[in-house]
Amino acid sequence: MIRRGFRVLFVVIFVALVLKGCLVKDVPQIQSSTQIYQERQAKIYPIPENITLNGIDYLQSQAPVGIFGGELITSTIGEGPKTFNPFNSKDNTSSTMAGIMYDGLLTTDPISGKPIPKLAKSYEISPNGVDYIIKLRKGIKWSDGKLITADDVVFTWQDIIFAGFGDTSIRDSLAIDGQLPSVEKLDNYTVKFTTPKPYAPFIRMLSTPIAPKHVFYPAIKKGSSYFDSFLSTNTNPEDFVVSGAFKLKEYVPAQRVVFEKNPNYYEINKNGDKLPYLDRLIYLIVGDLNNEVLKFEAKEIDIISLQGSKVARYKSLEPHSDFDLYNLGPTTGTMYLSLNLNDRKNDKGSYYVNPVKQKWFQDLNFRKAVDLAVDRKNMVFNIANGIAAPLFTPESLNSIYLNKELKPYDKNIEKAREYLTQSGFYNDKSGKLFDKKGNRVEFDLYTNAGNTEREAIGVMVKQDLEELGMKVNFKPIEFNSLVNKLVSTFDWDMVIMGLTGSPLEPNGGKNVWLSDGRLHMFNMRTPQEGKINILPWEKELDEMFTKGALATKFEDRKKYYDRYQEIIYNQKPMIYIYSPVIIMAIRDKFKNIYPSSLSGLTYNIEEIYIRE
Amino acid sequence: METLKYIIKRIIQTIPLLIMVSVISFFVIRISPVDPLAELKLNPSVSPETVEKERQRLGLDKPIIVQYGKWAISFVQGDLGVTSTGEKVSQKLKERIPNTLLLTTLVILLTWLVGVPLGIIAAVNWKSSFDRFLTVLTSIGMAIPSFFFAVLLLLFAVKTGWFPIGGLTSPNFAEMTFWGKVFDVAYHLVLPVIVLFTISLAGLQRQMRANMLDVLDSDYVKFARAKGLSEFTVVYKHALRNAVNPMITLLGFEFAGLLSGAALTEYVFQYPGLGRLILEAVLKSDINLVMASLMMGAFMLVLGNLIADILLIITDPRIRVKS
Amino acid sequence: MIKEVMQQLWKDKFARVALIILGVIYLALFLADFIAPYTKDFSDRTMAYVPPSKIFTIDTNGKLSQPYTYNYIREFDPINLEIRYKLDRSKKHYIKFFAKGQPYKFLGLIPMKYHLFTTDKDGRIFLLGTDINGRDVFSRLLFGGRISMTIGFLALLVLFPIGLLYGGISGYFGGKVDSIMMRFAEAIMSIPSFYLLIILASILPSGMTSTQRFMLIVIILALIGWAGFARVVRGMVLSIKNQEYVQAAQSIGASKLRIITKHILPQTTSFVIVAMTLSVPSYILSESGLSFLGLGIQQPDASWGNMLKEAQEFTNILYRPWLLTPGFLIFVSVLAFNVIGDTIRDILDPKSKIR
Repeated sequence: MIRRGFRVLFVVIFVALVLKGCLVKDVPQIQSSTQIYQERQAKIYPIPENITLNGIDYLQSQAPVGIFGGELITSTIGEGPKTFNPFNSKDNTSSTMAGIMYDGLLTTDPISGKPIPKLAKSYEISPNGVDYIIKLRKGIKWSDGKLITADDVVFTWQDIIFAGFGDTSIRDSLAIDGQLPSVEKLDNYTVKFTTPKPYAPFIRMLSTPIAPKHVFYPAIKKGSSYFDSFLSTNTNPEDFVVSGAFKLKEYVPAQRVVFEKNPNYYEINKNGDKLPYLDRLIYLIVGDLNNEVLKFEAKEIDIISLQGSKVARYKSLEPHSDFDLYNLGPTTGTMYLSLNLNDRKNDKGSYYVNPVKQKWFQDLNFRKAVDLAVDRKNMVFNIANGIAAPLFTPESLNSIYLNKELKPYDKNIEKAREYLTQSGFYNDKSGKLFDKKGNRVEFDLYTNAGNTEREAIGVMVKQDLEELGMKVNFKPIEFNSLVNKLVSTFDWDMVIMGLTGSPLEPNGGKNVWLSDGRLHMFNMRTPQEGKINILPWEKELDEMFTKGALATKFEDRKKYYDRYQEIIYNQKPMIYIYSPVIIMAIRDKFKNIYPSSLSGLTYNIEEIYIRE
Repeated sequence: METLKYIIKRIIQTIPLLIMVSVISFFVIRISPVDPLAELKLNPSVSPETVEKERQRLGLDKPIIVQYGKWAISFVQGDLGVTSTGEKVSQKLKERIPNTLLLTTLVILLTWLVGVPLGIIAAVNWKSSFDRFLTVLTSIGMAIPSFFFAVLLLLFAVKTGWFPIGGLTSPNFAEMTFWGKVFDVAYHLVLPVIVLFTISLAGLQRQMRANMLDVLDSDYVKFARAKGLSEFTVVYKHALRNAVNPMITLLGFEFAGLLSGAALTEYVFQYPGLGRLILEAVLKSDINLVMASLMMGAFMLVLGNLIADILLIITDPRIRVKS
Repeated sequence: MIKEVMQQLWKDKFARVALIILGVIYLALFLADFIAPYTKDFSDRTMAYVPPSKIFTIDTNGKLSQPYTYNYIREFDPINLEIRYKLDRSKKHYIKFFAKGQPYKFLGLIPMKYHLFTTDKDGRIFLLGTDINGRDVFSRLLFGGRISMTIGFLALLVLFPIGLLYGGISGYFGGKVDSIMMRFAEAIMSIPSFYLLIILASILPSGMTSTQRFMLIVIILALIGWAGFARVVRGMVLSIKNQEYVQAAQSIGASKLRIITKHILPQTTSFVIVAMTLSVPSYILSESGLSFLGLGIQQPDASWGNMLKEAQEFTNILYRPWLLTPGFLIFVSVLAFNVIGDTIRDILDPKSKIR
């Protein structure tokens, strides 16, 4: 009896609670006032200058004098470096790590993007654009105390790069009509490079690291396969002889890379003390973006690049926190939608792309319609949380070659329909789209699975195109399989992909744009096919890239590269979507931070110090 | 002597098994359209010549049978080959195996320490509500997707600041004293161990419970009870020993099981173990690395079973007669 | 027997709760089209990541009212670089029950328009907020659940006949046949299952429809599970085959296949039932793990696993907790299955060694 009483009571209370839960009062909220931020004034980076003290040609930092000591912990996403040999690195992380230890002759001015001297004291290009005279700093040393001389430079270029050791990509990209540049020692501190023809991209190549001859010479003597494992990740840190600001101290696989300061570094501050200020630079190896942000949150790392919704969180935390945020503008990465224009057959005699679909994709009106249907604005809002800029050109928004004449436009479904009608496409009563021969417009859209951003874009593109009556089968597939489709089997219709480019040198994109390029994905030709079935505008692209590389003056080059962007803008083999804006956070204890949209936050790592 | 013969026979028996494992794995991996060089091919600054060089180095230009033959011959000779990025596979495994052994041994130890007593308690109190409660409690751990649990724990670590965010050692590990190092590693191990422990506890507890029930029902326990021995003596002296014996056979499987179960946990916690290495290798179809790791897994299983067998022979003479 | 088992299950408190929970979940999934206010693919892209709709029953004047909700307005604050969601108080949207909404085909067959609850045409009701594409999380949970909660059963349907027959044949024939068949099964078992799963999933051809993909994932899951099952069946068959009635059947000249299927395998029924209920959860978890890596059910289709992927992101957990609901549902249903499985085992076969 008592038990039953309890039950009844329980039910009554439960019902009462449910009812209470259902009664929600509508009370208008008072909007909290928005905080107003003062945008931090960007400081102009004072470029280090040359200075000669006691016969040694130092580089002198012009930034305020700081305090020595401390460490900066940053992160690298992925599996960590594969090698520390700067001539073997084929991935970003390895090149970054090698780049910390081995300086190149030149570097990039973080503000203007112009090449400026680094390991070199000065450089000069002859008026005919083929000779490069490089003067080296006298008296500066490798970390083991040996002098850095012209022999090291000549050795690096002649015996490592041109001889084809390690990754041959630099050599291959320098061959002009099969001919390589030459390098010559004029005296102990002067080197002359000569290119067979004027070749503008060459100057950027001079930022390639220089190797110490006395360490690398024995390695190349042992042959190419020995060189492939030379200075690998299990090399004893003691064995590194470097020119950069930091030197490897410890590498713990899958966990971290620790660098310590190079006592022989050739840059000094205004007081004449040797840089860098920091004792150590630590890279934590983190698997993904999530882990990275958690580590930043837990103060395990000091600097992080933020995107999307994370930005808002840190923006609101910033006033009461120990970090500063810097807006570095759009990234060099581009996100695009590409159509397969391939009209050829594979060696088994069947078409890579179904001939019915070929007709659509090769139709400019069709591509324009697709382009106009894409809702870039909402993609920026939803997927990048507003922290991105819509994109219409192949050059990234911070590129110094960006063609600013090409105007952005909004989604316009009516105009898209018009283009389709012009080419004979029609909708039936239920809105399905057919081509003029009565084929239902249906194709596959691929992207790499597991990438939330691209998958979300795919879902939106599918909806956008279905608005036009097309049937889109959206298929995210595994990344490596997707690349196989793009560059080997060519059996795809439409794809969402991303590429990174250089904001300074459009020639780096020639693999993508040249009609026989290795990444000419939208109309890929096999090496045997060479340049067959070349479209008129592809031909013009080839021309622009060839001319652009051979011209030496910026203004001349700009003309060619403007035209290339215009061609893509008009022909739309690739439909650009957006480029995320980089926001970086760094602990505010670090000083001498001069944000640059081209080089980021830590390009002047040797000048960064920790306030007391 | 008999025992030694038996062991040798068992070892010989495992050889065809290992061959079969290698054939199945190799062909299954190679059928997949995953391109091990994809990343390289998509990097605009890498030249086609470099890609071609890599292709030849990895032997991707040859038919599958030839690739398998080449792999098998060098494997038998003890050469595990290089990864798709050119590092030595043996080196990679050497870096990771100790970490994985550390994690799995700890987890197994802990699950045994907790799971076995819980299994006994449940069996002794069979069908009581305490038994039910224990079973439900242990299943809770089994019911959360491991990666999700791991993510939540990481968030907890961030919010409280009590635990490090993944990894195995702190950046200043090299400068620590011995005890400092031990503490540092232990500190990093807490969260991954919790996740793996909660996942594997339920299975062990159930197994122990079933064994114990089995033994408690047997004739000699009934006989012992009939003799008037106290319940405590019956359970903990007579039954327990016989119930734990068959558990030993589980060790081998448990080890292999953890290798596979730990993958996602290691992935989320950025633990530098074998699981994460294999996971990344499989996703990239890095054949030498995957094959070496899978073979390792199979070896470990076979070895575990063998050790269990030997232990059983030593503890339980009846087996010898049977075989 | 089944009736008896059900009765005993119902008597057990934990099992009863678990049965009720699973019953409710499966009923909701069966009626998903009707209960969900939106279809699986419906999206309002101006409403990405909006929080759950606020439902009011007392209006601003303090009077009781028919439940209503407001839409959200999305605003980008360029100073704080933040997207804000504000209630649009200019228009009330009343919630209607059993009203016409988006058209759908019930169970893919019968065209219908009625939904359990919905709101007017430009109103939006998102009980559990929306995802990155502005899709209703509540609706997708229901549709995704259909996939997640059936994938395990389907895999078992494929796996059990294979395992039973394989184990049966192997055990019955014995000798060479047995040892070859068992070595093969052991080889499969020796490959750590999760990696085998990933490798197999990455083989799936890319040009598949979502139904094909779903079926193939089922088959892959089955391919991984059958070997262990077959081994246990074989062990049981070994002991059953020497029983008198089997020998009697042999002596009257029944065919071997007939003996295996008619006389031996039925003896393993209780084991099969226990093994089935206990292995469903592991398939649900496997699916979620695969989807976490992007190899399982793909966008734009929903499954609890791939919905949970969005919840990996740190800021999503902090600011959009509604994205965690699939994780919660996985947890609850797996737990319920485990409890039921444990109880059935205790009823049928308390000493069973099945984990």
